Amino acid sequence: MIWQNAIFRRYCQSRLRSKGLGIALLITILIAGFLFFILRAIGLDRTHLNPRDAERGVLIPLLVFQALILFVLGTAQVSGGMTAEADEGVIDYQRLLPMSPLQKVLGYLFGLPVREYVMFLSTLPFTAWGLWKGEVALGVWLPLYAIFITTTWTYHLTGLLTGTVVRNRRWAFLVSIGLVFGLYTVVPQMARFGLVFFKYLTITPVFFESMPGLLPRTAAAVVATGQKLAPEVRFFGLNLPEAVFTVFCQGGVILTFAAMLCRRWRRNESLLLGKLWAVGFFGWIQILLLGNALPLIDPGNLFPSREVARRFLAGSDWAPKAIEAVGMSGLYGMVTLLILYAMTRVITPSIDMQIRGWRRVRKQNHGSLPLFADASSSIGWVAVMASVGAFGWYVFTHALIESRWFPGHFVPLQVLAFFVVVLMSGGLGFHALLESKGGRAVALATIFVGLVPLMIGAILSTSSNRLLPAALWVSGISPISSPVYAAATLLSVSELPPDLARAAPIAFYFWLTISSVVTTGLIVRLFIVREGIAVRASGES
Amino acid sequence: MQKSTAIDIRYLRVDYGNYVAVDDLTLSVSEGEVFGLVGPNGAGKTSTFRVLATLMEPTYGEVILGGVDILENIEAARRIVGYMPDLAPVPSDLKVWEFLEFHAAAYGLGTRAQRRDRVAECLEEVGLTGQRESWCREISRGQTQRVVLAKTLLHRPKVLILDEPASGLDPLARRDLRHALRRLAATGATVFVSSHILGELAEMCSSLCVMNRGKLLASGSADDVRAQLGKNEKTITVRILARHEEAASWLGEQGSVYDLRINGQELIFGFEGTADGQADLLEGMIQMGFRMSAFQEKHSSFEDILVRVAETNRIL
Repeated sequence: MIWQNAIFRRYCQSRLRSKGLGIALLITILIAGFLFFILRAIGLDRTHLNPRDAERGVLIPLLVFQALILFVLGTAQVSGGMTAEADEGVIDYQRLLPMSPLQKVLGYLFGLPVREYVMFLSTLPFTAWGLWKGEVALGVWLPLYAIFITTTWTYHLTGLLTGTVVRNRRWAFLVSIGLVFGLYTVVPQMARFGLVFFKYLTITPVFFESMPGLLPRTAAAVVATGQKLAPEVRFFGLNLPEAVFTVFCQGGVILTFAAMLCRRWRRNESLLLGKLWAVGFFGWIQILLLGNALPLIDPGNLFPSREVARRFLAGSDWAPKAIEAVGMSGLYGMVTLLILYAMTRVITPSIDMQIRGWRRVRKQNHGSLPLFADASSSIGWVAVMASVGAFGWYVFTHALIESRWFPGHFVPLQVLAFFVVVLMSGGLGFHALLESKGGRAVALATIFVGLVPLMIGAILSTSSNRLLPAALWVSGISPISSPVYAAATLLSVSELPPDLARAAPIAFYFWLTISSVVTTGLIVRLFIVREGIAVRASGES
Repeated sequence: MQKSTAIDIRYLRVDYGNYVAVDDLTLSVSEGEVFGLVGPNGAGKTSTFRVLATLMEPTYGEVILGGVDILENIEAARRIVGYMPDLAPVPSDLKVWEFLEFHAAAYGLGTRAQRRDRVAECLEEVGLTGQRESWCREISRGQTQRVVLAKTLLHRPKVLILDEPASGLDPLARRDLRHALRRLAATGATVFVSSHILGELAEMCSSLCVMNRGKLLASGSADDVRAQLGKNEKTITVRILARHEEAASWLGEQGSVYDLRINGQELIFGFEGTADGQADLLEGMIQMGFRMSAFQEKHSSFEDILVRVAETNRIL
């Protein structure tokens, strides 16, 4: 039980002192009460809604206020509190406590934001009144608040992870806010471009589903009508309720973040994830991306232009543009490559870790590092993830291009081979550099090879149309752009302007060849470095 | 009766990139011993202690605490270790008793009443009963050290790892710390304590070792360490009435003389050699016609030895 968790109780003691809590509660109740009474007054006395609708009017503003308390204040408190522990130095005491890593994670997860939980609870009577008097069905508010809580845990775990991994206090706060904003606000926007899964990391889908039940009847009818036009939530052939699917998506993230934290609590030097878990997590993301996207292709709901047409071109015939499909395929590949980079970063050992591992192996008279050990090379696992990613990308592209929207077009199997080469050269090159040279070299490569060419390309293409082919060539240096180039070059549906249509394939094949050669060189170098480490470990031990 | 080994360190090595913080450290400490580790800043003391406390994985080597291999069974090792870090921090948002009660609860020290009693015992042990209700952020540096020492003692660890526990303590508190450590050792606990002040450790430890730049330079009793590091080193002060520069030049040519300096009428230098050699030196000075009004010898103190060891290593 959480009540018996010493870390949780320690934070209850420090964060629920009457002085600090009293002020926090006073402000919370004042704001919640103000919202409650003024919105009821507006509903009852100004807009003359019936009492049931007037009571419902308070629910969404209260929910926003509750989200502010738990999502924003709570997450900031978790990441800031965790970093403060490290900053003060007391975190070492907690490491030594004879509690399991999971107990420690739970203690911090619920202990650090305990005041925010109490503040949230203090707003619930107002919400309860609104739900009761507004006659909101249990089936509406229960899933909404269940997802509200799981979303809170997802955000808090993100903050906790950042606070644990990033050592500098100020950076941890900024990174955690940035990560929460990025992961749960910016990344979900990709749902508009075919990567539907990402929106289920947030409360948004369930919130919009619950809206008709929470709003006054007239507004609810408008929303409900809109929702009938909106895409349904489907996962491959299954029709899952939004709340269930959100829990499923968030559950994977929560589990993975918790596993990362447990590994760090067990041993501070550990990698954030084990090799197998990382590959499983990568595969799971691919399944969710595909499971959400594929059923939406035939009805057309996956295409961004459908939403635009629905809003602005009511009644007209709509069909997706070929360039749209090419862009979506490229984006899928690019996102897969970025996730591959992230997972590679998580499972690749530093040189120090490799040396420690080798010395340990030598001490135990073994000849090689265990396959799943943190210290062992992650090159094979990166290759597996790249293959899985390429396969997912191919399945997505295949379903998109060979759908009823683009008759006569097909995606040959050789495209899969190119997708594999694109992700392998990008992923393995990144990995080989990281494992043999360390994070600093990768950071510099990311800036000068990954980002600067894209920036220069963007400037050139904006300056003049004549410079578009040059921009295309320069941008092609960046491995991040290669999935987009692959889609533009390899898909028969692709319709680029003539000068770009000439330049794009040449640039793609040229840079892919260069990238493959460089990656091969980096891999050879990696093997030499690893051999050197093994010999050095043997010699010194 | 032969005491069993409480701390067994074999070939310990800690690297930070290309920097070797601890290099091939091998030593063992018997049960019930107060063992001191001394060395200047950067000697590798804190890295060694963090490895012993299971807070850091060594690059290589083996550490057995109370029969438990800390790399193989980290959880079991943590149950028997009490660790007090250098400049021991305390949480700013807790009172002294709350901080101790939290740790007592985390270590599962019985019921609430039993925990309260144990907290009171430990506070008394470190002489802080009167500060029970104080905020951790409001007590002095020395009191903070004592609060953390009380925390370290709470679960009655078999092995205590104390990194610079005396820093910030006034002489009275240092004396109390000395007594407390001896009392603990008498109950069978093994205390591994570090300091950069050798004299301080020599007073409280039954054995000690000296480290510098990651390497173990000497270990044993205080006299053993002095002998191993200082050999027969001594400082000689000669007061000469005239011709100081000439005398200094002559002394500088003698192989057993080092670190020569002139301080007014006095020539001060280190001397490494036998009593006969020292007599020969004195005779030589007289034969050279230097008019001496005093010739005084002084054995190097622990601090002098340590400073010399540190400086020699730095040059190397």
